[in-house]
Amino acid sequence: MPHGPDHGVADMKMLIQQIISGLSIGAIYSLLAVGYALVYSVYNFTNWAFDGFMAFGAFMGFTAIISLVMPFWLAGIFSIALTISLSVTVETLAYRPLRQRNAPRLFMMISAMGVNLAIVNTINKVYGGAFQKFPVHYVKPYFIGKISIGRMDLMAAIISFGLLLLVWLFLFRTKLGLGIRMSAVDVLTSSLMGINNNVVAVTIFGITGVLSSVAGVFFGIKYAVFPVMGMVTIKAMIASIVGGLGSLPGAVLGSMLLGVLETIVAGYVSSNYRDLFSFLVLIIILLFYPNGLMGKRVEEKL
Amino acid sequence: MGYIQLVLILGGIGLIATLGVAILTGYTGLFSIGHAGFMALGGYAAAILVKEFHVPMLLAILAGGAFAGLCSPIIGYPAFRSRLRGDYFAIATLGFAEAVRIVLNNVRTIGSIELGGAFGYMDLPTLDTLGWIPPWATVTVAALVCLYFSHQFVTSQRGKNCFAVGQDEVAAEMMGVDLLRTKLLALFVSACLAGIAGALLGFYFGYLSPSFFTLTRSSDLLAGVVFGGMQSLIGPTITSLILIVVPQLLLQFAEYRLIVYGLLFVIVMIFRPQGLFGHVEMNLGFLRRLWKPARATGK
Repeated sequence: MPHGPDHGVADMKMLIQQIISGLSIGAIYSLLAVGYALVYSVYNFTNWAFDGFMAFGAFMGFTAIISLVMPFWLAGIFSIALTISLSVTVETLAYRPLRQRNAPRLFMMISAMGVNLAIVNTINKVYGGAFQKFPVHYVKPYFIGKISIGRMDLMAAIISFGLLLLVWLFLFRTKLGLGIRMSAVDVLTSSLMGINNNVVAVTIFGITGVLSSVAGVFFGIKYAVFPVMGMVTIKAMIASIVGGLGSLPGAVLGSMLLGVLETIVAGYVSSNYRDLFSFLVLIIILLFYPNGLMGKRVEEKL
Repeated sequence: MGYIQLVLILGGIGLIATLGVAILTGYTGLFSIGHAGFMALGGYAAAILVKEFHVPMLLAILAGGAFAGLCSPIIGYPAFRSRLRGDYFAIATLGFAEAVRIVLNNVRTIGSIELGGAFGYMDLPTLDTLGWIPPWATVTVAALVCLYFSHQFVTSQRGKNCFAVGQDEVAAEMMGVDLLRTKLLALFVSACLAGIAGALLGFYFGYLSPSFFTLTRSSDLLAGVVFGGMQSLIGPTITSLILIVVPQLLLQFAEYRLIVYGLLFVIVMIFRPQGLFGHVEMNLGFLRRLWKPARATGK
């Protein structure tokens, strides 16, 4: 162990490095968490198919670059377009009939779980279960002093926040956004007030598609693409519980916190126990702050 | 005969775990996608008891179930107390199962016990060592006992409380059902059954590996309940046997199994949400009907 001032500086540098890395993974989590929160706030069910969407988005980007030899930006658009269509198709075929029948939420969840199983295992069948490297070569990092910032990390953070800002602007500055927020309060009443529920649903699932595709591509770049990569969405759910249910700022805050904390755990303790740590965070939050950091107390509606 | 024995053993083990999911998801309306975690806990606990402490195997199987049950409040209490919606309980179960698997994957030894981490816990005594009872008979008897016990549970007052909570939490609470206690009980019973199944699995194969207890296993269990029918024990019983036999027959399509399950989930939910045998309760009424006319004619 080296002693003296250099040691402290190295420690500090490592910590800052970890925090930056954590923020960029937190940005990806926050895309996913916002995607969940959107669907949850309007339809009161967790879109379990979301991790399938994410893996699908990542693999479409992957295919676009490898097989169709597209440049990165075009591959991104390609992946987003296909993921939107998948998401909207799933909404129309698997969720809408149940919603219209006013089926119990458990049925919606099982249906979503089924969609997820089908998507993930189809990907597994087509591409195989192996980890594959996302073919992007922006590897040379930027340097601020002695701290390096991965170009893709920076890009992931910037694009994620840009996207979240767009979603926020859409929800709070457009008429359709108003309709969505109104549906989140009460779907039935808002449809009586002349809001077309199906348009709202398609819009929400369209946004979800964009978010999951972007998250999938950046996650694929940061780690790898593999069929069960969607398992990280459990982190996004944990993050949204940490931040507070049904709160979009809470979802972002929770994601950032979780991203940074687990990167620090991975760096200083062991990367094997990173996922275990997130789960511990979930239990602690559930025990002591059941409404999350920014959530409101929600009573069961009658 | 070997094949039938295999179906009885794997089907019986699957059935016991499926009954656990049926009680929790079918009756109490709590969506679990992490029952593999409870199976793993029960399996490893029972295996350690037999291998390291030389506890009799049958006792160890029960102890494995009890251990899984006792671990269940770790997720149950925080999730139920905070009155999170069902979805978040599902996340907690998924996270729990993953956490158990990660720990088992990375822990090589506890004290002097060689758990083997990702390689698996090797050289366990098998069900054959029980003596003159063949393994398939052991598992079949265990499955029947569990089925009987589950039936007793869901028809008891506590089981009816679970059913009420599954139907409508608010209404159940207004009728004086203690939500927290009822849900914890359902989870406890469910985890015990899963633990017993995990223990039997370990003693059948003679070793245990964290890879036995992945999300796929949890999905399979859920499939048994969804296809068989909510609020039914006989439905999941039949489907869990079918789900063991059919993939064996269609081995060349094995890779498509989960894709088909997934699509079937959606189709069942849309067109027949009660499942194959929803609301049909296990009873021996048909025997009584066979018996009654006979008595009538004899009169």
